[in-house]
Amino acid sequence: MDFSWISLALQLGLAGLSVGLWLLLRHSRQETGRLKQRIESAAGKLQNLQLAFSRFAPDEIIERVIADGHGGIGEKKEVTVLFADLVGFTALSEQTEPTVLVGVLNGYFDRMSEAISQHRGYVSTFIGDGILALFGALSPNPWQGNDAVHAALAMREALASYNRELVERGISELSVGIGLNGGAGVAGLVGSRDLKEFAFVGGVANVAARVQDLTRQHSADIIVTAALKESLDPRFQLRALPTTRVKGVAEPLSLYAVDGFADIDEARG
Amino acid sequence: MTVMREIAWENCLLEPRRDPKFERRFRRATGRPGGSVLYFSGIPWLDETTVSFNVNASKRVSIDPELVGLIGMIVSQDNSCRFCFAETRALLRIFGMPERRILRLEHDLLSEEFDARELAAIGFARRLSRSNPPPDKRDIDALRVAGYDELQIIEIASIASIFIYFNRVTTFFALPPYAIEELPDRWYVRCFRPVIAFLLSRSGNTAQFEPLESGERKGIFSEVVLGLDGLPFARSLRKTLDGMWASTVLTRRAKALVVAIVARALDCPFPEKELTESLLAEGLRGEQIDEILTHLASPALDAKEKVIVSFARESVRYQPARIQQLGRNAMQTLSREEFVELVAVASVANMICRLGIVAGAA
Repeated sequence: MDFSWISLALQLGLAGLSVGLWLLLRHSRQETGRLKQRIESAAGKLQNLQLAFSRFAPDEIIERVIADGHGGIGEKKEVTVLFADLVGFTALSEQTEPTVLVGVLNGYFDRMSEAISQHRGYVSTFIGDGILALFGALSPNPWQGNDAVHAALAMREALASYNRELVERGISELSVGIGLNGGAGVAGLVGSRDLKEFAFVGGVANVAARVQDLTRQHSADIIVTAALKESLDPRFQLRALPTTRVKGVAEPLSLYAVDGFADIDEARG
Repeated sequence: MTVMREIAWENCLLEPRRDPKFERRFRRATGRPGGSVLYFSGIPWLDETTVSFNVNASKRVSIDPELVGLIGMIVSQDNSCRFCFAETRALLRIFGMPERRILRLEHDLLSEEFDARELAAIGFARRLSRSNPPPDKRDIDALRVAGYDELQIIEIASIASIFIYFNRVTTFFALPPYAIEELPDRWYVRCFRPVIAFLLSRSGNTAQFEPLESGERKGIFSEVVLGLDGLPFARSLRKTLDGMWASTVLTRRAKALVVAIVARALDCPFPEKELTESLLAEGLRGEQIDEILTHLASPALDAKEKVIVSFARESVRYQPARIQQLGRNAMQTLSREEFVELVAVASVANMICRLGIVAGAA
């Protein structure tokens, strides 16, 4: 009996099977490679996101958010609060083209944020044309009071330089009022289920906002409370202002206008 | 390693200097080529520290060898140290950890499938490195609950602290990380990996329990050294602290100020009494010391001390590019040797203050 055709068919079958297996293996390797690439890309994006998010909240809180989905633990902290608001911005907004106005505002925020971060502060939020910045909220900082006032002076200097640019472009100068206060409060992620932000909650922040409101009344662009003055470097040139009552605080506040710093080289250090 | 490679990194602040004798000594002690030592050799106590800390970074008395590498990786990642991260990563690759596992660790270290014991150790190392807030008794107790004995706990802290030191030294000088980042993918490393691993392991990676001699139980910052008693690293640290304190490149007053400022930033009380005594002996008055520590400034500081104080403060929590830039500015006031010693003292200060917190908490 001639079995040659059977042998041939078997050989062909085996060859076909080998080719099929090889193709399957190659396909599966390609798939694995593609999958690995996608996983690595997703993981890279996630890490980038985590890195970007670390600018908005302390690492510990980010990790808690990743671990349990909410990270809703508050922590009592000593923090210095800087509240800045543009003076006369409503009038400017009525006279200026919306596109120009947004550009002016963004330029202002960029320069102020830079001055704040250069002095180890962190911008917690922009409220309209206002800025709420915290010192010592993300990590302990025993020199937070000095840092905050140096930041305010740097903001004054940055605004003066920005105003020169604006005047050259035919736009009105900006003017800012800054209130600073320090003390204990609670820092943590607050907000609704859908929208949260890292914030510092307590009377300290409210008083800083109230003090900022008083800058016009006292014709001073930077005002600090007596509570903050206690921790400040004596080389800050402070001028006592009349004690003033503010809403929500039982006793009248002792306030000081900040005129400058005696050693400008160190302030920049 | 994509994200680590994206960290902004200045050009190296120092020109390399050949020192064949020291290079040979480093190679013999560690089994590694030690290209990085070219940049900051020349100060005797720092040379000694570079060798002994490198040896101690890869030796363990009682913990798992892989845990040493993992601690090195996470602390270096946390401190954004491209150089140490790349070096630890390369060593893990050479010693056989699969690339895929390393990638998973890089991208999400804490979601990797560690057991509770490993997680406790890694979490502790990270907390010690960040010190935001510093570890306390609860963190030490968590390690005990995870099954670590007292010797293992101080060993985990010491390994983390060695990386806290090296991360700062290499980052503050901006040592070029590029060659070492590429190293594991070089064809010769891939081909000869087992041989390289064998050669590297020749220097040995285990050490014996070694209690301190009575003479080593005294000296500056002895509280920290005593807290590490039993580890060979305690002896190395004793020598480093004695050498650093005796060195005359920077004044003792400048060195004491660096440690005092780092301690203040980390809210670490242990060295306060010793440092105050030392600063008083070096001619500062009590109110001047208070002024410097409260405001980082005083008319009592000279031009070099002003730069030193500012750098010490930044060394605690830093962004690489920013502190490298600050270092470059500092070199306009300080000589090369003074700057190198400043970086080393600030790095030692960050290490011992964190270890002091652990000793206090334990």
